[in-house]
Amino acid sequence: MLKLVLTRTAASLVAIFGASILAFVLLRVAPADPARLLAGPFATEEVVEAQRVALGLKDSLVSQYFRYIGDFFQGDWGFSFSVGRPVIDQIGSRLPASIELGLYAFIFALVGAVICALLATYRRRRAVDHTINGFALFGLGTPPFWLALIVLLVFFGILDILPGPEGRLSPRQEAPPEVTRMYTIDALLAGQLGTFFDAGKHLLLPALVLGFAPWAFFFRLLRASLLEVSGEQYLATARSKGIRRWTAFRRHALPNAFLPTLTAAGLIFAALLAGSVLVESVYQWPGLGALVRDGVIEQDYAVVQAFILIGAFAYVVVNLVVDILYGVIDPRTRTGSAVTK
Amino acid sequence: MSAAAQARTTWFERFAGSIRALMRVLRIIVRDPGLAFAVGLILLLGLIAVLGPVVWNKDPLEIDIGNILAPPSASSPMGTDDVGRDVFARFNQGARISLAVGAAVVVIAGTVGVLIGIAAGVFGRWVDAALMRMVDALLAFPALVLAMAVTVGLGIGLKTATVGIILPSIPFYARLMRSEVIQVRSAVYVEAAAALGAKRGRIIARHVFPNAMTSVPILAAANFGFAILTMAALGFVGLGAQVPTPEWGTMITEGQQYIVTGGWWVSLFPGIGVLLAVVAGSLLADRARDMVDPRRERDI
Repeated sequence: MLKLVLTRTAASLVAIFGASILAFVLLRVAPADPARLLAGPFATEEVVEAQRVALGLKDSLVSQYFRYIGDFFQGDWGFSFSVGRPVIDQIGSRLPASIELGLYAFIFALVGAVICALLATYRRRRAVDHTINGFALFGLGTPPFWLALIVLLVFFGILDILPGPEGRLSPRQEAPPEVTRMYTIDALLAGQLGTFFDAGKHLLLPALVLGFAPWAFFFRLLRASLLEVSGEQYLATARSKGIRRWTAFRRHALPNAFLPTLTAAGLIFAALLAGSVLVESVYQWPGLGALVRDGVIEQDYAVVQAFILIGAFAYVVVNLVVDILYGVIDPRTRTGSAVTK
Repeated sequence: MSAAAQARTTWFERFAGSIRALMRVLRIIVRDPGLAFAVGLILLLGLIAVLGPVVWNKDPLEIDIGNILAPPSASSPMGTDDVGRDVFARFNQGARISLAVGAAVVVIAGTVGVLIGIAAGVFGRWVDAALMRMVDALLAFPALVLAMAVTVGLGIGLKTATVGIILPSIPFYARLMRSEVIQVRSAVYVEAAAALGAKRGRIIARHVFPNAMTSVPILAAANFGFAILTMAALGFVGLGAQVPTPEWGTMITEGQQYIVTGGWWVSLFPGIGVLLAVVAGSLLADRARDMVDPRRERDI
């Protein structure tokens, strides 16, 4: 077990190292000159040159790389000139909104996928299976930002039963007292039901849209592995002992079918991360994704670059945790098993 | 019979053989509704991309201030956008761009990835290790994040965005090809070829490569959809095609602020275009996978 953890961690460190080099190289070749950006368009060449020396742009690439990594781990992620604040402050202030949205999207995706996978496989109704499968295909193919606009048009523009793009709360609604900075949870903690429902209404559309692609991933994996597991002999054994079909399904098929979906966690995380960049700005959601899109539009690349490196870092960590968890749950995947020893 | 006549017969026979093969493929397609739907969609989009801009010869870039945000009508079937450009003309041009991007990504990423996979599988040892570590570094990024990084690094635009989509696509081809080559290289027919004295290059080209390639088209179909979706996403964020270019994702952004106030057609149609292209790619990949591996469709 320890060997598994060590080898996987080492592999992840190599991946992060490679990713950081890639991020650094891209930052170097970027056409925008950071010294010129800081000094402003009207600064003389001498001022810009001095700025370059001050920023260390004249040092060797290797020492620049190590300073870049050192700064990153010390929380110095650059300065966002469009807002006039350090990047890390901005990201920190916007993270809770993104986490709250991502959490609900994830719950929608997971619960929806389990229900739909059961509907598609347990009842053996071809029509139901085909319908849900078709939906899942759309889930993989729909551009999230486009779907966000369309549901906004339907539920706000035409039906007018859900709030429009106004962020996390109605304009006149006051934010609940800060605890976790996730409004639905904070509102419940403070006992403010009105605020809770308002926050929930604002969350509903973005969370559903953001969860659509992950739902499709989950569903397709779960369905495929349920179909595969249900042909296994241990299910036939369980049935032959007189266990009812549903019980056999719930106790034996579902847990075994769930394992492969765990490996997709990295994929799901990537879909949520990408989705946040694409969905948040449509709903004026004050999260990380909207920050990144604004950063692109304002050409404020310090924000974008920080996001890229954090994204890669988090993605590698998620995959590492999944790998190790997989080893814990399924002993067969452990390296150095009884066979090789 | 003279030698020339004989050559003609074999040519004719070969021709008849390929027609027979084509008929067989057609029969497979017609019998499977899902497959027929996917192939039909791709043909339809291809037709729009090739013939659309020719048949509907309005200029997709022509601004008409007197006719802004006009709803769909006979003179402009998909309406006009916020500066009076014809959305249908832009949609057709967008189909060209999207399909071209999808094809470019599949061809370039496929070629590079397949070559990496073959090299890793055939040479093994340190070549394998080095190539796979490089591929792993590419996989350390979520795909859209890597595409964004490359586009920011190389400068914003359609071409750099295409490069940004190619990079995260390569690992999938490389990994698939490597695992297939490793399986194929110890097959009996490869050993037989070696025993007959075939050179290494010939064995790779004539035996390993064709047999390891069987699953690559499935991946290519899925990758095609991924490329179109990612290009639209980059266009929406502002990192892809720049403003007057009628790329589908960029067009959706242009209509974003008008969608609730009544100008829904500017964003709706390009989104449907992306949706159809990606669904066609994924469906094609799905059906093909089920055909190659029927085990997956086992009933309970």
